[in-house]
Amino acid sequence: MERPDIERLIARDAPMDRIAHGLTFGEGPLWSAREKCFYWVDIVGDTIWRWKPGRGCEVFIRPSNKANGLTFDRKGRLLVAGWSSRTVWRVEHDGSITTLAARYEGKKINSPNDIVVKSDGAIYFTDSPGALYNVGMQAEDLQQYLPFQGVFRISPDGKQLSLVIEDFVYPNGLAFAPDEKALYVNDSRLNVIRAFDVTAGGSVGAPRLFHKLEGSEEGVADGMKVDTQGNVYCTGPGGVHVIDPAGKRVGRIKFPDHCTNMAWGDDDWRSLYVTTRTSVYRTRVKIPGVPVVTEGGA
Amino acid sequence: MKWQFERVAGPFQGPTGGLAWEGETLLFSVINEGKILRYDPRSGAVTEFRRYTNRTNGIALGKHGGLYGCQEGSRRIIEFRPDGSTAPTAWLLDGRYHNFPNNLCVDRGGRIWFSDPHSQVRASGPQIFPQLDHASVLRLERDERHAWKIKRVTCDTAAPRAVLLSPDERTLYVAEGDTGRDGPRELRAYPVRDDGSVGAYAVLHTFGSDHRGAHRGIEGMCLDSEGNIVACAGWKKSGVGPSIYVISASGTILETHPAPADMPMRCAFGDAGLDSLYLTTGEGHLYRAQGTGRRGSR
Repeated sequence: MERPDIERLIARDAPMDRIAHGLTFGEGPLWSAREKCFYWVDIVGDTIWRWKPGRGCEVFIRPSNKANGLTFDRKGRLLVAGWSSRTVWRVEHDGSITTLAARYEGKKINSPNDIVVKSDGAIYFTDSPGALYNVGMQAEDLQQYLPFQGVFRISPDGKQLSLVIEDFVYPNGLAFAPDEKALYVNDSRLNVIRAFDVTAGGSVGAPRLFHKLEGSEEGVADGMKVDTQGNVYCTGPGGVHVIDPAGKRVGRIKFPDHCTNMAWGDDDWRSLYVTTRTSVYRTRVKIPGVPVVTEGGA
Repeated sequence: MKWQFERVAGPFQGPTGGLAWEGETLLFSVINEGKILRYDPRSGAVTEFRRYTNRTNGIALGKHGGLYGCQEGSRRIIEFRPDGSTAPTAWLLDGRYHNFPNNLCVDRGGRIWFSDPHSQVRASGPQIFPQLDHASVLRLERDERHAWKIKRVTCDTAAPRAVLLSPDERTLYVAEGDTGRDGPRELRAYPVRDDGSVGAYAVLHTFGSDHRGAHRGIEGMCLDSEGNIVACAGWKKSGVGPSIYVISASGTILETHPAPADMPMRCAFGDAGLDSLYLTTGEGHLYRAQGTGRRGSR
């Protein structure tokens, strides 16, 4: 919190609660408003975890085929960016698994990294190749078949997989602006966030550079979320970088460990849950985040 | 007999590395380009065998038409399968991630012997897993359930490079030592016991140093049909320069030939009579000397 501007968004003495630790690589943070509990994953530890305030942590799915990003669809079903399965999969209300995306034009996709749902029910996910190359995160098939690393969209009926953006080196975090007129996607190799205008049909327009992350500390552009005033929260060197809607950095929230992703949570969506490599932290902010909306209320 | 080298492919970006003669064509890796290419001596054509290899260096043919590779960028041995997929083998030695495999050979029983030196180059992904506190020759073999497991073979190496088995597989040749560190650069012959462990080694050849620095040791080697070791070593910086040696099983140097470029990397016999020697180099070429007066084994 190096500049006073950020005190507009978070108090200097905001709490820093560690609600889980002992992970090898935390990711996939997600608040369930319906269940009032928090989900996340340990990629290397091959587990989807769940935490309920006052009750503690429990294993939700293990093994998880190294699940990565999580979100809910409009019906409240858990959607998983399946890192090592090289698929996007859905957990039905009865616990069974449905695969939503596995191949594009007949070729296996890379390794879905993070995932977000638009209010019309369309699913967008980044398809970086990390599970094909990263030590400790390997898929069963390590071959990259697609000659690009892109962003895909699954149509609201779940039937159509289309390529939305293809010119990334390593696409990772993605989030919509509050009005969903822009989609932000970052690139972990280039440490930039780009913004794309979203068309009525769900495709996107030409990219514009929204923000380049600066800092010499450990940390890269990874998880990314947006608050209801359009501020963009993105992991980066030294912690979580907060960027205003014009693309200017407001400040940073520092964490004691390498941050990987974050999610808004609690009833007022003013808690910020942050996964790091080894832990999950929770702090409080002043402006609510964009909720993960499911039918029957956020 | 003077060997006449001709350049048959390259230069590519960065060094060329592992070589494998397939019977009619030659596979060779272009490490930094992340490719394995195929050279056809009948047409002179170079085609792509595989992309996205993440710095695979040493390669060796396995049973069932697969090709094993030392994927340095991901710290593991992988199998490029005939159907175009790529499978991992095992990656843990006693529960820990091993180092950066560099060179390998496959024995008649299908076991994979590989050198596992340390490296300064970062592997892909978050830097979670430290390197081992030793750099050894390791061996992949199948357990009773047909799953790959890794065993440690040498306990007295600090920088193993090239590995090779004698025709009867009773001797393991190891080129130990790297110019970037202290310690000997020498060719060792380890007796292989019936249980697969190795005994005390004999030194077949030692590389020295002069006022210009340490002499570069052996980086690649193969067998000829008489059980001699054909080894490429040396550099322009010091010593006699980049060279190819033919060394008998007892350590007598039978022939030396100047290499056609600096930093020779690997060598393998090929062509219809198996009497051509192919050579890769630090400058990123593929060379060939026809009519060497020697033949490859098998």
